[in-house]
Amino acid sequence: MKSGRRILSAVLAVAGLLMASGCAAAGASTAPPGVLNIGIVQDVITWDVGQGHNGHRLVAFQPAYDTLIRREPDGTLVPMLATAWDYTDAGRTTMELEIRDGVTFSDGAALDAEAVKANMEHFRTANGPQAVQLADVAEVRVTGPQRLEVELERPNPALEFYLSQAAGMMASPEALGKPETDRTPVGSGPYVMDPARSVAGDRYVFRARPDYWSPDLQQWDEIVLKVLSDSTARVNALISGQIDATQLIPRNTAQAENAGREIVNWDANWAGLLLLDRDGAVAPELADVRVRQAINMAFDRQVAVDGVLNGYGTPTSQVFGEASTAYDPALDDYYPYDPQRARELLAEAGYPDGFTMTLPLPASMNENIPFIAQPLADIGITARITTVPPQNSQAELGSARYPAAYFQIFQGPTWVAVEQLLVPETLYNPFRSEDPELTAILDRIRTADPDDVEAPREMARYVTEQAWFAPWARMGVTNAVDPDKVRMEPQIGQAVPSIYNYHPVG
Amino acid sequence: MSEHSISSVPPTPTGPAPRRRGGETLRRLLGNPLGLTAVVLLGVIAVAVLLADVIAPFDPNYADIRNILSTPDLEHPLGTDGGGRDILSRLLVGGQTTLLAALLCAGVAIVVGLPTGMLAGYYGGLVDGAGAWVTNIVLALPGMIVLLAVRAAVGPSVWVSMIAFGLILSPGFFRLARTAVRSVRSELYIDAAKVSGLSDARILRRHVLSVVRAPLIIQGALVCGVAIAVQSGLEFLGLGDSAVPTWGVMLNEGFRSMYDAPLNLFFPVLAIALATSALVLLGNALRDALDDPTGPGSGGARAAAAAAVAERRRAGADEPDSSTGGHLLEVRDLRVGYPQADGTVKEVVSGVSLTLDRGEVLGVVGESGSGKSQTAFSVLGLLPGDALITGGTIRIDDAHTVAPGDTAVDQARLRPLRGKRIGYIPQEPMSNLDPAFSIGYQLVRPMTHLLGISREEAGRRAEDLLRSVGITDPARVMRSFPHEVSGGMAQRVLIAGAISCEPDLVIADEPTTALDVTVQAEVLDVLRDLQARMGLAVLLVTHNFGVVADLCDRVVVMREGSVVEQGEVRSILREPQEDYTRTLLDAMLADKPGRAKALAAPATPNPSGENLETTR
Amino acid sequence: MLPFLIRRLASGAVVLVAVCCLAFLLLFFSTDDVAVNILGEQATPEQIAAKNAELGLDQPLLQRLADWWVAVLSGDFGSSWFNNETVVGALAARLPVTLTVVAVAILAIGVLATTLGMTAAVRRGWADRAVQTGAAIGDALPSFMIGLILVSIFVVALPWFPAVSVIAPGSGVSAWVASLTLPMIALLINGVAASAQQVRGAVLTQLSRDHVRTLRSRGLPEREILFRHVLRSAAPAGLTVLSLQFIGMLSAVVVLEQVFALPGVGTLAVQATTTGDLPLVMGVVAYTTVIVVVVNLLVDLANGWLNPKVRVA
Repeated sequence: MKSGRRILSAVLAVAGLLMASGCAAAGASTAPPGVLNIGIVQDVITWDVGQGHNGHRLVAFQPAYDTLIRREPDGTLVPMLATAWDYTDAGRTTMELEIRDGVTFSDGAALDAEAVKANMEHFRTANGPQAVQLADVAEVRVTGPQRLEVELERPNPALEFYLSQAAGMMASPEALGKPETDRTPVGSGPYVMDPARSVAGDRYVFRARPDYWSPDLQQWDEIVLKVLSDSTARVNALISGQIDATQLIPRNTAQAENAGREIVNWDANWAGLLLLDRDGAVAPELADVRVRQAINMAFDRQVAVDGVLNGYGTPTSQVFGEASTAYDPALDDYYPYDPQRARELLAEAGYPDGFTMTLPLPASMNENIPFIAQPLADIGITARITTVPPQNSQAELGSARYPAAYFQIFQGPTWVAVEQLLVPETLYNPFRSEDPELTAILDRIRTADPDDVEAPREMARYVTEQAWFAPWARMGVTNAVDPDKVRMEPQIGQAVPSIYNYHPVG
Repeated sequence: MSEHSISSVPPTPTGPAPRRRGGETLRRLLGNPLGLTAVVLLGVIAVAVLLADVIAPFDPNYADIRNILSTPDLEHPLGTDGGGRDILSRLLVGGQTTLLAALLCAGVAIVVGLPTGMLAGYYGGLVDGAGAWVTNIVLALPGMIVLLAVRAAVGPSVWVSMIAFGLILSPGFFRLARTAVRSVRSELYIDAAKVSGLSDARILRRHVLSVVRAPLIIQGALVCGVAIAVQSGLEFLGLGDSAVPTWGVMLNEGFRSMYDAPLNLFFPVLAIALATSALVLLGNALRDALDDPTGPGSGGARAAAAAAVAERRRAGADEPDSSTGGHLLEVRDLRVGYPQADGTVKEVVSGVSLTLDRGEVLGVVGESGSGKSQTAFSVLGLLPGDALITGGTIRIDDAHTVAPGDTAVDQARLRPLRGKRIGYIPQEPMSNLDPAFSIGYQLVRPMTHLLGISREEAGRRAEDLLRSVGITDPARVMRSFPHEVSGGMAQRVLIAGAISCEPDLVIADEPTTALDVTVQAEVLDVLRDLQARMGLAVLLVTHNFGVVADLCDRVVVMREGSVVEQGEVRSILREPQEDYTRTLLDAMLADKPGRAKALAAPATPNPSGENLETTR
Repeated sequence: MLPFLIRRLASGAVVLVAVCCLAFLLLFFSTDDVAVNILGEQATPEQIAAKNAELGLDQPLLQRLADWWVAVLSGDFGSSWFNNETVVGALAARLPVTLTVVAVAILAIGVLATTLGMTAAVRRGWADRAVQTGAAIGDALPSFMIGLILVSIFVVALPWFPAVSVIAPGSGVSAWVASLTLPMIALLINGVAASAQQVRGAVLTQLSRDHVRTLRSRGLPEREILFRHVLRSAAPAGLTVLSLQFIGMLSAVVVLEQVFALPGVGTLAVQATTTGDLPLVMGVVAYTTVIVVVVNLLVDLANGWLNPKVRVA
């Protein structure tokens, strides 16, 4: 009855100290030097690598798990657990990987080609949220103790990138598929979880692993991930010193800065409307490209950037970001703010009196409502906004019940963006829109050299012209740190920096 | 404590709350500062919200997105929120939804709870059982969890949430209606209505609704307050519909910008706080106005009345005391009154004088409300807290327990006398023993406290006492709890308790009234026997001349607070001087022919079996 | 006493079964999106179908309800659908926080309400008016609003307390005190008011009872009459009020935990219901109902013990 005793002692203590507690409570962090406390936005729902995710949840996995390929802050891919990799055929369907020798997992198991194969197969069968990353893999063949080949059914230009993400995370083959890994990760990473001091849903404590193979990547004695899904709670925790670094919402940045915290900002997401019903299944009006273009012209993007993002953002008319070869600076102001022209376009399309459409909006983003509804109202479109719980927001968006939606979406490399936003299978394309012209461009990108910019830029221009989306801005990520303790290095195309980007100060 | 509780009138059966005229209730409500505040607040809120469409300067959803978080100015009297929307307009229009949803919640709770409760109360049996069962389940539901589940199942609509919450709250109304109907049902007029052929539905509608109306309004106001709180809580959690302005939605938005724009949080907090407080205050004040005549609303006038009496008494403190002296108990010109809500003092005892000497038995006779019990309690010093001695004195052994100028009995003087010098035998045996303690404990404890004897010795004495009042198995009775003995037995126990510390004076307040006739005679025997054996002085309060004839040496006849006549029992029985005394005697003779024989029989009260026979 | 106990236990069990079935029924309608929520934005229809089958969501309602009961009766409340944390484990980690807040608040309310209620009933006059007015005001503000006010004063304006919970396993007493003091005060202010009012009423009722006057006439000290006799007779009413407060707090704490970012059962409940994490929600419902039933049972037992009629029978 450990918890019973804990309750009792807490009850007694609380009763006794009720009066004296005022001063004892402040400045709660008494962490020894070398401890990094990070406030994470989303809980880690499982430590099973098969359920690995991107963004916030990717970074939470990094203390425990190394990836085959490491992505530098500027997006360059460099060796990590894989020392070398390359396609062995011209059609770019077979990749050979060389696996680092001498690396062990925290349970003592050795990292070898078999372990990598087991991980990849686990990832493909675990039905995880990023299963798409290895969906094109046909077979994984071990060709030597530390060497293997990955064969694809069709070329996937994002494979290397994916191996620096969830699909590249390696867990001990002994632990794969075991239920315990839901709660405790067993990886080869720089840190090991301390289960006794961790509470699911609240905090996860990681201690530096002795004899880690790459001491340079291991800059802290201890990393604590504290789950703080509420934005106000995060800024309060940062200011009171309970955490050293976290992501803020733009509105809270001034408060953090006033308290001597440093805002580290870069653009990594885009915010705006997805005009999903391009064939007019539930909102016939949206089938007309002029209507979609009119919506794009309704927004004064700088006002939205100032109002919702506190200025942390760059107005744009395209959904592709700087991490992508498709990014074309010329498209940023493709749709100027022109409500007059927007009304004309609506009239030309046959809707001089506007129309009504329903949009889902996560409750956590409800501060956007006026910035969505008012500009649309100004050109005659009534936006009915349905609040949905944040956890359900993707499901709602992908339910094909709403012709359009406001959302904030991560800007990955080109092919990631394509698979995320444009292909018929993705959740963000619930009406399964397809456009032969676009499909042709996508087919060219699939087999092209990943560094080639011509086809991607053509795609960006086409998607923007067709107004599949009505983006507002590339969004700043407004991370914040205690500058006396942490130096944070931005990570391109990622909302929060990788764990390796937190450097101790002094 | 209300004054009826000490009158000799048997407590009225717990029926429906006394119905007051609507105007009277309203006057009390508005006389209570809290009630007045609540009514005014609710009125202001209601008018503002009803006229929202007229007085709100903007459409609540119109967003001046180039002017966000602006401080209050002429255009936006309360400023704008994070989306450039006018806070005043949102508060006003948002109040419509918030308050309407709260009304919906209360409405659902009433519509579901009231009819079912009425049916359950009226028909009882299976209907009642089923209703109680469902009520228990609903009350065990974790309300907030249910609302979360409802939210997940049917979406963020505030209306759906409030309908669900209304269902959760309906047991309150079910119970209310059920209790009211049950008590009304037991009353005669329903039976009479039934006989006269009214349908069940009409009976319920006509009689029951009038009874539950006031409690319904109280409960309804409280439920509205709770509904606003819960609704705001849900919306605060981000589970509401952010597209519809309500106070809770504004709270959620305000919490997020608490640091940048505290006013954004302050205004909805204020609105919710005012509305819920006003509703709760209204409910409470209304309850006070209906139930508690000593409620805070009338406190001022009563206090003033009491102060005036005190002033008058002080002024007359040195009036000569016409006391004759030398008596065990001497009550002189005693006046007792109760301050009223209108600032007057209602007198229940108006100048009573009597004396009692050692070994003497004095009867005080009168109808209910004659002031005889009030006189007795004045002697005991056990008047209710708000009672005022408005005149006269009381002396025990020539020492004042009420001195000239006192407005209350001198407790410091009386406390050491109670139990030791003065014993008390109450009217209602069952209600005068603490049900939570054994009879032995209740007999022993005063002896150990007052006589300073050990518990063992006190226990032995208690057994002797019980034997002396005619209990044959004292050990068993000592172990028993009050509910385990009969009324006659309990009264013997109380008599034993009254004499346990060997007092000189016993005040018996209708000691036999609550007992059935057989037991009455036995208890009178015990009293007579004890009095004779111990040489007690007894002040016997009764409405029954038969008892007086049995026990008393002298008698005082009281009516409406005053002494009508007093004198030797025999002479008054034979030749009553006053019409009122005669009426009382006639009533007794008409009622109890058996007792006439006893009266006709001369002189010494006749113990033993004869009385038993005659009263059978 | 024993038949009484058995009867109460049986009715408690019936309530528990009924509440759980009702909750299951309600939640059945909110599980449509669960698979998508778990699998995320790029899930294929096949993945979703596979997930639904894995979770048993393709089964008919009654089948699923029956499965749940079979598992629960064998002691298995299952695991969260989203993180495979066991339901029992999730509750065990969070119940201490919630129960500490609620239990300490209830204890404090019990002591304070009794003191204030007694004072008001015995002294009457200004003390009475103060308690009644305070009760009306404290009762009128929901605890989370009091929490908001406390946060704006003691966290924002005067940073005396941490803004978010600092409770972690192994964290010392000071962390618990720092994190739980304000929420407890919020519950206290809200609860003590109403309870004091009820205690006042109960004590007044008892004071006006005939046997109290008789006890006075026996020459017993006033103090003894108040504390041994009046308080004891008023205790059942007081306990019932406290148990109602306790049940109400289990709801109030759901919102309050959000205000103070406490890792308690309320936070778990909000998160689990919004994601449609059926096993967790059912766990929360079952545990809460068990707590309610047990508390009611304890109050019944205490009242029974206080009432000789029931005690002896």
